[in-house]
Amino acid sequence: MTTLLAEAELVESRAILPGQWIGSFHAPHVASGARAGQFVHLRDPDSTTELLRRSVPLNTVDPSTGIVTLHARSGAIGRLRVGDRVGLVGPFGRPFEVDPRSRHLLLIAAGLGIAALRMLADEAVRDGRQVTLLFGATAARDVYPSSLLPDEVEYLVATADGSLGHHGPVTDLVPAYEAWADQAFAGGPMPLLAELARHAAGRRERMGVAHLGRKRGGGRPEPPGSATARRKSFLQVALDQPVGCAAATCLGCAVLGAGGVPLRTCREGPVFAAPELDWAALS
Amino acid sequence: MKARKRVVTSGPQTPARRTPTVRRIKSAIVPAARRPTSTTSDRARQAAGAPPSVPVGSEAGASVDLAVDLGRGLVLATPLIAASGPFGYGVEVADAVDLGRLGALVTRGTTLRARAGSPPPRMAAAASGIVHALGYQNPGVDAVIAKHEPTWRSWPVPVVVNVCGESAGEFVELVSRLEGLAGVAAVELNLGCPNAARGGTPFSVDPDAAASLVAAVRRTWDRCLIAKLSPGAADVRAVARAVASAGADAISAIGGVAALAVGGPRAGAVLAGPAIRPIALRVVYDVVGAVGVPVVAYGGVAALDDVLDYLAVGAVAVGVGTAALADPGLPTRLAGELEAAVVARGHASYRDLVGTARR
Repeated sequence: MTTLLAEAELVESRAILPGQWIGSFHAPHVASGARAGQFVHLRDPDSTTELLRRSVPLNTVDPSTGIVTLHARSGAIGRLRVGDRVGLVGPFGRPFEVDPRSRHLLLIAAGLGIAALRMLADEAVRDGRQVTLLFGATAARDVYPSSLLPDEVEYLVATADGSLGHHGPVTDLVPAYEAWADQAFAGGPMPLLAELARHAAGRRERMGVAHLGRKRGGGRPEPPGSATARRKSFLQVALDQPVGCAAATCLGCAVLGAGGVPLRTCREGPVFAAPELDWAALS
Repeated sequence: MKARKRVVTSGPQTPARRTPTVRRIKSAIVPAARRPTSTTSDRARQAAGAPPSVPVGSEAGASVDLAVDLGRGLVLATPLIAASGPFGYGVEVADAVDLGRLGALVTRGTTLRARAGSPPPRMAAAASGIVHALGYQNPGVDAVIAKHEPTWRSWPVPVVVNVCGESAGEFVELVSRLEGLAGVAAVELNLGCPNAARGGTPFSVDPDAAASLVAAVRRTWDRCLIAKLSPGAADVRAVARAVASAGADAISAIGGVAALAVGGPRAGAVLAGPAIRPIALRVVYDVVGAVGVPVVAYGGVAALDDVLDYLAVGAVAVGVGTAALADPGLPTRLAGELEAAVVARGHASYRDLVGTARR
């Protein structure tokens, strides 16, 4: 037996897209207190070839029933049957930070990047915020089904081959919402996140947003990485790095932060404010 | 909320201060039950060359001899140790793992100056293993000493610092910083490091480079010196003989096997985990046959049978590495299982299990 606390039973499983899978687990230990952006660590106890646990972002969480859904690539965990028990520990990492004053949230995702953002849409709709989701995929068959989103979410799609929605990359859709959004949150492949980060860096100037300091000489700057600093930065990204130990020890999930400081996806992340990361080194 | 005005009713006494509330974050890992194994007086006796008292409380109630002498006064209380990497500098896991039940803790690879490490991705899954390239991320030896060495002094488990460098000069300077520190029981030279003088070829593939490095460090380091070999040498026995005659007190093997994962880490990537176990068994078998110094085995240990295999080919101690990432309690559990296995087989000492596959 392992010393790990937690096992969870798969109660429902379905393939939603080619090669993608959503599984519902009964995991009250994870569901209580989990927040959007955090991830769990999953291991199939019968698997002999998958050595490490696998990090999967929380897709939806229902604390009242203890049901947690996970959206992942259907590899070994996609073959799990209903009733199977897996090692499931978490939640780990730091969540998305939504400013209480933000009315309009812009969510930008490509492919499996939606897995980390789905729960944020739930939380935002519950809190009465307006949410727009921009989703990018290679073709119509890979587009996240709108039926899986809350009705209140405005949903726009871009496909690389033009088979559904806008013909082109999802980044083409961003400028139209840039002024509307109070905060933006993104998940997806690193090149997409890097481009969004570059774009977000110049937003203040483009939008003519005045920097309103506090009275009497302005407040002291928030330390980078603090929840407040993240709340104040326009763009937060959720990284999808393989996580080895989730205990901030192995350094296998580290990415380079601005200033050359390594940041651990499992501890300082997986959510980062865009200015915290060294995008030139990451892309 | 507005602060309430304080009204003084009697005497010049100051009001009792509210102690700040400490919010404790619940760990996801259940701490293993703590039991005392070795004490500071034990360590003093170890330093004097006496074997440590045997860990108390095996399941059968019988006491068995599990002590391992790695040379120059470093005596491990049990052959099970934590290999370099998964436990970092130990302090990261000290709340969750009872380190006192391990024979030794080998730290993360430490360099002279701070290293930021490799760009992501640093890890990729492989069949029965992982391909990883961490790029020796660490804060540098001075920061490590300042931050962790005082903690290590108070621990019942000997701490072995794994050191990495690109030249013999760098290794020597690094090891000299560790000289005289009570919290450091031994150093493990990572000979798998790229040798800058030979265009980045690891020290461990070249008997001459490996021997001159060990000899140089030997001149500055008078406590236990462990040389860690990586596979890949044309004849690992020649490398083992070279480092042993250059003054290594013990040899450990193996480090990761050079590997690659498409879409995963590239520069300096190695394969670790159960996938390398048969390779490591072969290397350990060859090294034990070539040298007389004690050999510490690493490579894909995930269960008691793996530990027994390494002992059978002649290793005197066995380290757990990658498997401890998924299960941090594994090394201490295996230590208990080994003790129970020795008792169950009716041996008085675990050494009866060492080298049985060589006869």
